[in-house]
Amino acid sequence: MNSARGLALRSRTRQGLLREPRRASSVLKYVALTLFAIPWVVLPLWMVVVNALKPLGEAQALSLALPDTWAFGDNLDTVVNDGHYLTGLRNSVLVTIPAIAVVLLLGSMAAWAFARTRSRWLRAAYYLTTLSVLLPPAIIPSIYLLREIGLDGTRLGYALVTISARLGLVIFLTTGFVRALPEDLEDAASIDGAGPWQTYRHVLLPLLRPILLVGGVILMITVWNDFFFALFLLQGEASATLPLTLFQFASSTVDTLSWNLVFMHVVLTSLPLIVVYLFVQRRVLSGLTEGAVKG
Amino acid sequence: MASTTLTPEAGAPEQTAVRSSDPTPRRRKSPREGGHWPWFALPAVVLVAVFFALPFLLNAGFAFSDWSGFSDEIGFNGIDNFRTLIDQEIFWPAVRTTLLYAVCVLVFEMAVSLTLALALESTTRINTIFRSLFFIPVLISPLAAGYIWKGMLATNGPINGMLSFLLPGTVETAWLGDPTTALPAVALIEAWKWSGLITLVYIAGLKAIPKELLEAATIDGANAWSRFWRIKLRMLAPALTFNVAVTLAVALMAYDVIAPTTGGGPGDHTTTLNIAMRLQWGQSFFGPASALSLTVAVLVIASAVPLVMWMRKKEVAQ
Repeated sequence: MNSARGLALRSRTRQGLLREPRRASSVLKYVALTLFAIPWVVLPLWMVVVNALKPLGEAQALSLALPDTWAFGDNLDTVVNDGHYLTGLRNSVLVTIPAIAVVLLLGSMAAWAFARTRSRWLRAAYYLTTLSVLLPPAIIPSIYLLREIGLDGTRLGYALVTISARLGLVIFLTTGFVRALPEDLEDAASIDGAGPWQTYRHVLLPLLRPILLVGGVILMITVWNDFFFALFLLQGEASATLPLTLFQFASSTVDTLSWNLVFMHVVLTSLPLIVVYLFVQRRVLSGLTEGAVKG
Repeated sequence: MASTTLTPEAGAPEQTAVRSSDPTPRRRKSPREGGHWPWFALPAVVLVAVFFALPFLLNAGFAFSDWSGFSDEIGFNGIDNFRTLIDQEIFWPAVRTTLLYAVCVLVFEMAVSLTLALALESTTRINTIFRSLFFIPVLISPLAAGYIWKGMLATNGPINGMLSFLLPGTVETAWLGDPTTALPAVALIEAWKWSGLITLVYIAGLKAIPKELLEAATIDGANAWSRFWRIKLRMLAPALTFNVAVTLAVALMAYDVIAPTTGGGPGDHTTTLNIAMRLQWGQSFFGPASALSLTVAVLVIASAVPLVMWMRKKEVAQ
């Protein structure tokens, strides 16, 4: 945590050595960043939102102008009714929230065991689980397996595969984090007579909050947005998550996409995540930049 | 931050040695606790073993089987699936497209995120705003990103509109419909979706570089350019390896961005292995689909795993 000293040092060098050129190049830098951000982020988002508010005929021009006729209500109606938005929302919530909770719970428990063990077997198990971070999940045999146990096409089966595919990442992040924590607190708890579960629940879990928040956000983004797994593992409209309803809705028009409706669905599908993210944004961005990945 | 997280780990053995007067020596207690801890790993290990590792192993079997939607029996058929896919001119084009796609994604993503990280390294208020702005695409699903950019890159879309404004004449390129531009265009969408996250990993890496090193170099007369090439890039090696490995692994599995934009076209110019896999699956050819899926796994292992091993070795060496 030498950042305060570092900042002081750096500002001293800035004043001493590089004052004038720094200021000019700094202005240039932000001009360049803004010029890049406009086509990269601002325009795409603006195009989606503004065209989601237009009637079909107007939206097909894909212009960036404000709507002449506002069609917010009509488009919303169509997306909710024909796009099965509410079904998708319900299923996405039903899969995402339990899956994240289970991954964070089981992942952090396993990370504790892995970080503190001296057993060769557990170390081997650790390396095998973390391999799953990079290896692509085998989707077709997963379907076969779920079919054998009667969970093919169901939300439960989809959640089980999702949980197993994401556990490795949380274990990887959290094990590194636990290793960097001193064991003293756990020792003290066990001297005071706390069992492993109590130690985990009352000592370890509070300490792990920052890394679990980062892990939770990464999970939220990947699980909520998952399309590939859902496409193979979920069957029928009744169990479709939001990405599936979006894809089915967009694919239902044969020749050309109805941009206004597709964009309205895109906005409504992305909105829940953006809203949740706004609440945790500050802590997540600092968590990620302060070296969470290095653990 | 990096120094504080690293110190306890490195300093741990010395600490125990110093505190030998400690009334409860740690050595005696640990085996007892070690008896409790393994059970904490059990549920996670079982889940990963059953729903991740087992399918992964089964895939190696299915790839060499005649499993299809037309028969209930699954029998071994050697390398027939690969042979069929090669005969139908699906296999090698898909491998080539996948690799080309991954390289394009890697180049776009590394260029954008390294530049952004260098520009936004220090945590000032304005930089925090820009970081959040560039993070927004990370939140959007790859599928939605596909639809957004399908609109942006349409012949009558805003990108052509902007180019027509800047360049003489009217630009009406069908970016996603032209065989030469389709693959780089979809790769750009994938890079768009992930660069915000990769940028943050680079910023974390830059922050871990000791300031004294850069200051010493500045005093010795190194300019920004040589400070980047001689110091920052070298000290970034762990973050760089991590980002390259993750980007490659994700790009080799590409499906989500391609399905809504080109669906594999024009022709088969953006038909990656997973797009081809889905097509085989859709026609109930489960054996060939497994063969393509196994090929993705092999490509990921061949490219990403050595990188990670190398990174691990470097970390241990430090």
